[in-house]
Amino acid sequence: MKLSVKASFGIAAATMLVLAGCTATSDPATDDDVILRVAIAEPDRLVPANHFSSYEVLTAIFTSLTGLDEDGQLEYLQAESVESDDAVTWTITLRDGWTFHNGDPVTAQSYVDAWNYAAYAPNAQVNGGQLKNVVGYSELSPVDGSEPTATELSGLSVVDDLTFTVELQSPDRQYPFQLTQGQTGLYPLPAEALEDLDAYNSHPIGNGPFMLADDWTPSQEIETVVYEDYAGEEPTIGGVTFVPYLDTTIAYTDALAGEVDIVAISGDQVTRAEEDFGDNFYALDAPGVDLLGFPSDDPRFSDKRVRQAISMAIDREAINDAIYGGRQIPATSLTSPSMPGDPAGVCGEYCEFNPEAAQELLAEAGGFEGPMELLFIGGWGQEDLFAAYANQIRQNLGIEDVVATPAPDFAAFTERVANGDVSGPFRARWGALYPSQQDTLHSLYTAEGDGNFGTGGYSNPEVDALLAEADAAETLEESYEGYRAVQERILEDFPVVPTFGNRYLYVTSERVTDLYSISGSPLLSRVEVSA
Amino acid sequence: MRPALALLQRILGFVIVFFGVTFVIYFAVFSLPGDPIRALAGDRAIPQGVIDALHAQYRLDQPLWQQYSAYIGGLFHGDFGIDFRGRPVGEQMLARWPVTIALALTAWGIEVVLGVAIGVISALRKGTVIDKSLLALTVLASCIPVFVLGAVAQLVFGVSLGWLPVAGVSDGWPISYILPAAVIAVFGLAAVSRLVRSSVIESLGSDYVRTARAKGLGEPRVVGVHVMRNSLIPASTFLATDLGYLLGGTVIIEGIFNLPGVGNLLFSAIRSHEGATVVGVSTALILIFLITTIVVDALHAVLDPRSRLG
Repeated sequence: MKLSVKASFGIAAATMLVLAGCTATSDPATDDDVILRVAIAEPDRLVPANHFSSYEVLTAIFTSLTGLDEDGQLEYLQAESVESDDAVTWTITLRDGWTFHNGDPVTAQSYVDAWNYAAYAPNAQVNGGQLKNVVGYSELSPVDGSEPTATELSGLSVVDDLTFTVELQSPDRQYPFQLTQGQTGLYPLPAEALEDLDAYNSHPIGNGPFMLADDWTPSQEIETVVYEDYAGEEPTIGGVTFVPYLDTTIAYTDALAGEVDIVAISGDQVTRAEEDFGDNFYALDAPGVDLLGFPSDDPRFSDKRVRQAISMAIDREAINDAIYGGRQIPATSLTSPSMPGDPAGVCGEYCEFNPEAAQELLAEAGGFEGPMELLFIGGWGQEDLFAAYANQIRQNLGIEDVVATPAPDFAAFTERVANGDVSGPFRARWGALYPSQQDTLHSLYTAEGDGNFGTGGYSNPEVDALLAEADAAETLEESYEGYRAVQERILEDFPVVPTFGNRYLYVTSERVTDLYSISGSPLLSRVEVSA
Repeated sequence: MRPALALLQRILGFVIVFFGVTFVIYFAVFSLPGDPIRALAGDRAIPQGVIDALHAQYRLDQPLWQQYSAYIGGLFHGDFGIDFRGRPVGEQMLARWPVTIALALTAWGIEVVLGVAIGVISALRKGTVIDKSLLALTVLASCIPVFVLGAVAQLVFGVSLGWLPVAGVSDGWPISYILPAAVIAVFGLAAVSRLVRSSVIESLGSDYVRTARAKGLGEPRVVGVHVMRNSLIPASTFLATDLGYLLGGTVIIEGIFNLPGVGNLLFSAIRSHEGATVVGVSTALILIFLITTIVVDALHAVLDPRSRLG
C-alpha cells in the first residue's frame, strides 16, 4: 500500500495551534481540541463504492457494520448483530438511534439501496464487486460484461427499519468479517446521495465519527471535525485534517518539521525513519502479502520444481535486512502472519533459503534455458528489491542471463503480464480488505478471484472445493484448519513464490502517543494523543 | 497590406501549431501501453461490466480519430473533457493556474531583482574579487540539480531553522512560495546577471555616458538612468522568455514542494494516462509560450527602436 502521489500543503506549526482550536490560550488543551493532520495521497473520489485510493478519509467519515477490537476479535459497530443459522442467509440488525451527518437515520434501506446501486454494472461503481457473493449479483453485473437483467439484488431484503437479510450464493461463516471497514463498497448511503452522486462526492455524508467541515476541493486539504450526534464510541480527538501529498518523501520531510502528524512511509525509508523518529516510528502488521507470479504460457516454468528452486534460491532474511531494515516478514505461508489463523510454516522447506537444494531441484527439472526477465513496476521503490532477486537467482541457481526490468507504470505492467509478454517471475501482491484468510485465498487462487491475474491465472477444482468447505466451517478454529488445508493444497502445486508478509510503516509527530490500528491501518478515532 | 499578411501568417501558424500539438500529444497518450482503467484498479480487478461502462464513458472503446475529434469538438464548446475522477478538466486547470502563476511570478521577481542587482554590482566592480566571487557563486548554484537544491532548502529552512514551511501552499502567498520560488530563481540568476553585467560594462564605456559624466551628473544618476535604460534591453528579452519558461517549467519544483499547480496536475495525469488532462494542460502551456514570444517581440520593438527598422 504505497502512498502514491499528488498535491498538497505543508503548514507551519503556528497554524496548527490555531487549528487546534482553543480560543483562550491559557486553558490547557484537552484531547477534543486536537486536530490531527494526516498525510494522504490525493483521494480520487469520496464515494465509498466508487473510489480506489480514498481509504483514509472514508474510514474516518463512515462507520462499518463490524470491526475488530484490540485483540483482533470481531466487534459490532453500526450493526447490533450479524447472525445466521445456515451461513447462507444472514440477518443484519442495525443499532437504533444512529444518524448520518445530515441527521437522517441510518436504516436497513440505507444499506440495501446503496448496495443495489453499487452492484449494478452500468453505474460503474468500481467497488461493486464486493457484493459478488450476494444472490442475484450476476444479473446486475454479468461476468462477461453483457446487459444486466435486473437492477436490484434478489438476495437482499428489508425486514424492518433496522433489519435486513442477505442471502449468499454459498455458505460463508466469514461473512461478518467481510463487513469490516476495508470493504467500503458495503457502507450505507443517505437517500440524498443516490439522487446526485456528483454533488455527494464534493461533500460526502457518512455515518462515522468525523464529518467534513466544508465541501471537498480537489488538491486541497480536507478538514473533518467530530460529528456531535455520533452514536458510537466518542473519538479521542477533535478532528482530522487530511493533507494530500504528491510523494511520501515530501510528507516525510514535513513530518520532520512537525507540520503533519501521521505519515505512511515506504519500505525504503525505514532505516532513516527509525533514526529520525524513534518511538514515533510504527511498523504495523498488515494484511498484505508480496509474491512472485509466473507466466502461465512459458513452458520453462511449467515444472513446479523450477518455481520451487527459484523460491529456495531467494534469501528472504538477507533481503529483508538489507532493503527493509528487517521490517517486513519473510513469508512462510500464503497469507500474512497477522491474518487470523495464518498457518505459519506451511510452505516448509520451499520457502527457506537453501541454494544447494535449489540447484538440485532445478537440475532434476532439467535446468533452465535462455534469458529470465523479472518484471516489476518502476518508481514504486522496488528497484533494489528486484535487483536483489535477480542477483540471487543468477548466483544461487547458476542461471546466467537474469535481469530485473521495470515496467514504466502499472498499465504497462498489466499489459505485458496479460499478453504473456514476460519471460520470468513478475511482481504480485495482495492486500486483503478484511481480516480473513478467505480474501487472499479466494482472490489470488481461484479463477474468478479479483487478483487471479497475479498468480498467472492459477486455479484448481480441488482448491475450490477445499475453500468452500473452509468458508462453511462452523467455528473459527475449524475454518483455520480448513484454510490450512487449502494452503497445503495450493502449495503442492506451488504456483507462486511467496516472498514477504507486509508491515505498513508510519511515522508520527510527538503529539501522537499511541497509533491505534486495525489490520495495519490507523483507526483515527482511537489514536491517542497528548494535548 | 503587409501587416495584415503578417497577422494572417501568424494566425495560420497558431492554427497549425494548435492542431499539430494537440494531435501529437493525444496520440502519445493514446499509444501508451496498457488499459488505464484496469491500471487504476491496481491489483484488484474490477467487474467487467464496470470496466465496459467506464470505457464507454471515456471513449476508450473508440479508435483514436474518433476520440480525438470528439475531444476537439468539445474543446470548441469550451469543454475540456472529464478526468478519471469524474471532474471537468477545465475546472481543474482553473483551480490550479493561480498556484503556478503565483509561483512563476514570484520566482521571476526574485530573478529580476537579484539578477539585475548582481549584474550591476559586478559591472561596477569589474575584475575585482567581488565580481569574480559573484560569478562563481551564481554559476555554481545553477549547476546544482533542482531537486538537490530543493531538498537541501527544505531541510535547512523548513526543518532545521523552521523559518518557512517545507511544502504546500496553506500559508498562502508569499510565505509558502518564497522557498520554491527562490530555488527556481537561482537557475536564472547566472544568465541574467551575466547579461546585465556585460551590457552595463558596454554602456559604461560608451560616448553618451562619457557625455553625461562630463555634464557633471552624479554617478547614481548616470548608472541609474542613462546606463540602465540601454543595458536592460538584452536582459529584458531574456527575462520575458524566461517567464514563459517558468510558467511551463515548474513541474519538478511543484513536485518537490507539493504545490497543487498545473505542473503537478500534468504529472499525475501522465501517470494515469488521462489524455484529456494531458492535452488540456499542454495546450495551455504551448499557448503561453506562443503568446510570450509575441510579447517579447513587441517589447523588443518598444525598447529598441533599431529592431523596428528591419
